[in-house]
Amino acid sequence: MALQSTQPLKPMTRAWWHYVPLVLAGALIVFYVLLPFVTQPELGQTTIRVLTESRGNNELGLNTHGLVLIPLAALGAALFGLWNLLDPRVARAVSALTALGGLMIVTYYIIFAMDYSAEEATYISQMGPAFWSILVVGILMILQFFLPRPPSPHKYRLARLVGNQESIIALGLIFMLIAVGISNPRFLAERNISDVLQGHAYVAVAAIGMSMVIITGNIDISVGSLIGLLAVICGRLAVAGAPIWLAWLAPLLVGAAVGALIGFLVAYMRIPSIVVTLGMLSILKGILIIWTNGERVTDMPEGFFLAQMRPLGIPMPIWFMIVLTILAALWMRYSGLGRSLYAVGGNAEAARLSGISQKRVVLQVFIINGIFVGFASILYATQFAIIQVTPPPGLELTIISSSVVGGVSILGGTGTVIGSSLAAILLNTIRSAMVFINVSPFWLQAVQGVLILVTVLADLLRRRRQID
Amino acid sequence: MTAPATTPQTESKQPTLIDMLRNIITSQEGVLFIIMVIAVLFLATRTDKFLTVDNLLNQGRLLTEVGLVAVPMTFIIITGGIDLSVGSIFGLTAIVLGIAWQDMGMALPVAIVFAILVGTFAGFMNGWFIVKVGVPPLIMTLATLALYRGLAQGLSEGASVRGYPDWFYELGQGEFLGVPSQLWLLLIAVIIAGILLSRTTLGRTLYAIGNNEVAARFSGLQVNRYLLFIYTFSGFMSALAGYIFVSRVSTTRSDMGTGLELDVIAAVVLGGSSIFGGTGSIPGTIIGVVLIQLLKNGLSLTGVTGDATIVVIGSVLIFAILVNTFIQGRKAA
Repeated sequence: MALQSTQPLKPMTRAWWHYVPLVLAGALIVFYVLLPFVTQPELGQTTIRVLTESRGNNELGLNTHGLVLIPLAALGAALFGLWNLLDPRVARAVSALTALGGLMIVTYYIIFAMDYSAEEATYISQMGPAFWSILVVGILMILQFFLPRPPSPHKYRLARLVGNQESIIALGLIFMLIAVGISNPRFLAERNISDVLQGHAYVAVAAIGMSMVIITGNIDISVGSLIGLLAVICGRLAVAGAPIWLAWLAPLLVGAAVGALIGFLVAYMRIPSIVVTLGMLSILKGILIIWTNGERVTDMPEGFFLAQMRPLGIPMPIWFMIVLTILAALWMRYSGLGRSLYAVGGNAEAARLSGISQKRVVLQVFIINGIFVGFASILYATQFAIIQVTPPPGLELTIISSSVVGGVSILGGTGTVIGSSLAAILLNTIRSAMVFINVSPFWLQAVQGVLILVTVLADLLRRRRQID
Repeated sequence: MTAPATTPQTESKQPTLIDMLRNIITSQEGVLFIIMVIAVLFLATRTDKFLTVDNLLNQGRLLTEVGLVAVPMTFIIITGGIDLSVGSIFGLTAIVLGIAWQDMGMALPVAIVFAILVGTFAGFMNGWFIVKVGVPPLIMTLATLALYRGLAQGLSEGASVRGYPDWFYELGQGEFLGVPSQLWLLLIAVIIAGILLSRTTLGRTLYAIGNNEVAARFSGLQVNRYLLFIYTFSGFMSALAGYIFVSRVSTTRSDMGTGLELDVIAAVVLGGSSIFGGTGSIPGTIIGVVLIQLLKNGLSLTGVTGDATIVVIGSVLIFAILVNTFIQGRKAA
């Protein structure tokens, strides 16, 4: 078995069942597109929008809460199916994940049946065979799990593949979608899903920079104040009549400059980062209050509201979150500087001996963090018609929590930005879910605290097991 | 204050008076004390309302809560740890006090004791997880910063409690021998903590842990027991400060003490404790607490708008550490 796993390029045979997940995913997509309200161009709306609007907004008057689960499951199943073909050894794990997709689809029909009223009965006939075919595909997706398959090598067991923090959070998210969706279908309305994703996009973007800082063994508790300050700079420039590209560029530059100052004090003056950023927290917040006098920024010109744009029907904050997360993840995995972040955080002495200048890396990571905070504050500044001078209280705590829950260890040296972005979404999903299941949002912070604690305990347990 | 033990004993001649004086002045506390005197003199020349007995006593009343929490925070930072949850314990205690009295029908004295016990237990939980499970203090108290604040908000649902009987306000608003009552408490706490830190096994152990925890363990010191104690103590003092605060401002809200941890850590670090552990002292911390409060007060009296003073405080924090790092570096060289 050990021999097998050390031969990565060994040609592998594919049995027919290797194609099952991909075929099912394909069928799902086809039937989904065949649904009657997908092909109604007279509504003049993009496909996904019509499909997932809540009751009354779509032509058929049908309740489509939760229908968004179907494209989500289809997309997931297609990705896993492709993965399956590229590397047949993961077949067993993929079959389990595909079954999870089937579960999501069946969930939609449960929601539909629960919320189904007599007046809708007349519309069911108009749905066509595709509507029920999707249910059949969903059930098949669950059943294919029980196909006979040879056991896969230990390294490719499900527990190994999804045992990392990123997968656990992703599974947690799916579990929440299903559980909260069943108890209140409106949670799964497309508008709410979109709000959940957008609402914390700027947190996720800021958490990318924060994760890098934490990976090097430092911390930045001044981000909340910095986001507030940069957002006001952004807005005021636009109001004062500067070109809009300049208004968007300024937060990045100022953010990088502030980051450089913090990095210089930490790396070259040897003041611990928690102390420097504690001081900066006060300084930035004070400057913000003196400068603005507490007045919020309004009357931004047309075209300023980057976060309200929707290229290809998907809101801009989501684009930013996804693209920046992927770029940062690739950069951290494959670039020299990206790797050295882990080296400095994991073992500073070894990093020094291998020729990495610890000071320079720390300086650079704070500058990069400043740029990501700049991106976050553009999204924050352009989301509404007014810019509040005080950022949401405890913003830095939310950002740090995203990083920590996402698997970035303060002990340094581990974690990825994919985890932190997923965690940022998870935190906002929890907040939204609490509203839908009638839990007072006052408990949100308590949940957040428990989540951090659970993550850290799991991390410690994992580390201990690795040592044993 | 006597000359530190680091005075070279190998030299043949005795350290002269000037040497001793130089040692005192260039010590962490000495540098800070000089900065404070300069700041006070400067502020006194700008307004005649600043350097009056009434004003100073009133400032003493205002700084008590931060001072009380700064004492155990000094202990913790000396060991190389940190406690970010103090502000949340502070708020939780306030809420538990209000709810226990108003909604659970406890007698007020019982409610006070109960609330302080809850706060102490909250600190104990921090310590237990840090010592027994091995969670890093920064993360553990970050989690409980959110958790305890969340509990306070969830329990109170954002509502406030007011209308306490008159005797309840004695501690927060009354005077004893012409000095604000709570200042006496702070004084006692500071004296006891100062002695504990500089004259007892407990104090020496804390420094040992901060300098090298592993070595401290191998030397047979009860590291776990001491760590558990200081985090529990931190919970207790935060709870006490929360109670005093409620008594001072006459009402209970769940957002009380938000950001307190930052004020406290700023004061302790300003007072010469290194976040890396191993150094720090109670006199330094007290100078830090007083300096920050006097700066806030003096600046607002000279016409700087309230919130803008935090720019100065942030700058002083960074500047003071830079100066101290520079001077201590020179001394070591």
